[in-house]
Amino acid sequence: MAEWLDDFLFTYENLIHALGIHGLLALSMYCVMALGQLSLGQAAFMGLGAYTGALLTLKLGLPFWLVLPISALVPALVALVIGGPTLRLNGVYLAISTIALGEVLRVLYINAESLTGGALGLSGIPQKASLWLVYGLLAVCIAGFWAIGRSRIGRAMEAMREDEMAAGVMGVNLPLYKLGALIASAMLAGLAGSLAAHSNSFIGPNEYGFEAAVTILSFALLGGIGTPIAPVIGAFVLTALPELLRPLADFRLVFNGLIIVLAVLFLPRGIVPFRLRRAP
Amino acid sequence: MFRSFLVSGALAVAAVAVTPAYAQQTVTVGAIEILSGPSAAYGTAIKAGLELALDEINAAGGVLGGKKVALIVEDSAGNKDQAVNAARKLIGRDKVPVIIGPTLSNEMFAVGPVTNERKVVTVGTSTTAVGITAMGPYIFRTSLPESDVVPVTLKTAKEKFGVKTIAMMYANDDAFSKSGFDSMKAAAEKLGLTIATIEAFGSKDSDFSAQLTKIKALNVDAITVSALVEPISGVVLQARQLGIPASVRFIGGNGANSPKLGEIAGEAAEGLMVGSPWFVDKKDALNDKFVADFRKKYSKDPDQFAAQAYDTMHIVAKAIDKAGAAESDKIRETLLKTNHTGAMGPFTFTEGRDPASTEGVVVLGMKGGKFQIIQ
Repeated sequence: MAEWLDDFLFTYENLIHALGIHGLLALSMYCVMALGQLSLGQAAFMGLGAYTGALLTLKLGLPFWLVLPISALVPALVALVIGGPTLRLNGVYLAISTIALGEVLRVLYINAESLTGGALGLSGIPQKASLWLVYGLLAVCIAGFWAIGRSRIGRAMEAMREDEMAAGVMGVNLPLYKLGALIASAMLAGLAGSLAAHSNSFIGPNEYGFEAAVTILSFALLGGIGTPIAPVIGAFVLTALPELLRPLADFRLVFNGLIIVLAVLFLPRGIVPFRLRRAP
Repeated sequence: MFRSFLVSGALAVAAVAVTPAYAQQTVTVGAIEILSGPSAAYGTAIKAGLELALDEINAAGGVLGGKKVALIVEDSAGNKDQAVNAARKLIGRDKVPVIIGPTLSNEMFAVGPVTNERKVVTVGTSTTAVGITAMGPYIFRTSLPESDVVPVTLKTAKEKFGVKTIAMMYANDDAFSKSGFDSMKAAAEKLGLTIATIEAFGSKDSDFSAQLTKIKALNVDAITVSALVEPISGVVLQARQLGIPASVRFIGGNGANSPKLGEIAGEAAEGLMVGSPWFVDKKDALNDKFVADFRKKYSKDPDQFAAQAYDTMHIVAKAIDKAGAAESDKIRETLLKTNHTGAMGPFTFTEGRDPASTEGVVVLGMKGGKFQIIQ
């Protein structure tokens, strides 16, 4: 029995890691979407975290407990710098400018060859992200968002999502909230990126582009953004589905697509459409 | 929707329960290839080559005194995470002693550490990047790395066509093109060719006129290009439009070794040279048989990837047979002593688990939209 369990864990270890990491990414998307902002920079922040973490481990040999906070801090600093100009934009314009961030970073990784390995990426990153760490962080983040969501800040966030102008008139400090949310989401994405790099052993410059940004967005869209747990469930479904459907062999991706289309058609507010309850 | 999870979950459990009983009469080998998505052409060619060889092996009595060989091919969709999941599934659930694949070098860099740690022999049939086999003692490959093929091509260009000065172009944003370029540069320097300039572009670019105008002014004998087939076609077409004469030959890396080049670039590609570990018209009894059988089974011509996969399946089956048991450690030992002659020619491994001989390499030239062997 123990051997069977061991084999089972080995078979799905990577998937179980990916589920937790994608859950964190979904939360980072939730963090900005809860304010009604459409940012597609999550993949770029994830890449920053992944490269920062991988380089610190590979080149400097820093211990993991130190690597992890630094790889959350670097994206946060970048978010602080770019937040000023980009957060004056709204909706689609913000989305486009954040996509640009991802492209700029991609070109940087490719050309800073001596540091980032160029197109060949960085390989041989030691596996340091344990299951407990990934899921512990995820649980802490969900609980944190839940607490914030029920507080005064959460109420301000929801007001901004429903009507930004009205919220502003009521005295919500819009720029502060927006910048705060962007920095928090960048930190989460960076954390997820660093964990991913330390569970996968290889990262490349083309993994954090537009495609990854849209995947992260779809976690939140499929799950819903009413509660912090919803996008995480969306991420779980989208990540696990291709593997659960593996027995279907050639028809796997067809069914995968079909299930997503059906979910979007019949559950337009996401799989978990509820909202946070708040004391009156 | 949740019901479909349950169904597939039940299927998965059923698969676990069935496999051990099934494994007693058969030896199961795993493969991870790209069977869906934009790069599916490579994976399906490899699968076809593997299955053709599998039929022959089982028709000839299988391995280990009459056990049939079974092959489980998992799809990676060209995604390294899915490739790792597939590898873990093959090792953890199907308990295969050998994994063939995965298709791309990027995928191999993610899969290699996992399979090597579990001591499962992994044989790449199409991974050409530098450093693949350095990942560990259980990682093999049967595909000649670019660093073995390119020197042969450049040498032929120098000796047959008197090429002395070259301009080099490459796509700097994907691992395959970059690693190919590194090999080309090393080979050119070793042969004493003069490198007039090195120009980079992006693999999704469509305008190369800035780089080509600069190259035109340098009056080089040849231009080397390391990229995938679409950008190479664009480079070749624009070079002729800008008036770079046909006497300036193009020399391609592995990416140029595709019939698509002739289809897209047409006359502009005339004279383009490329080295290949295998060619459909290579005159050789074993190759003729392989090509004839492949055409009979699939009603189309095999490509380089199918040929490499076909030989690999035979090499792996032979190693299992000689090992006397379907155990990874023993197979690793016999695999190192491989001495096989197949469609690609004679084959042995080096101590570093790479192919030992470059004898099978042929240099091809584009003529009238089709490749021909340069004699």
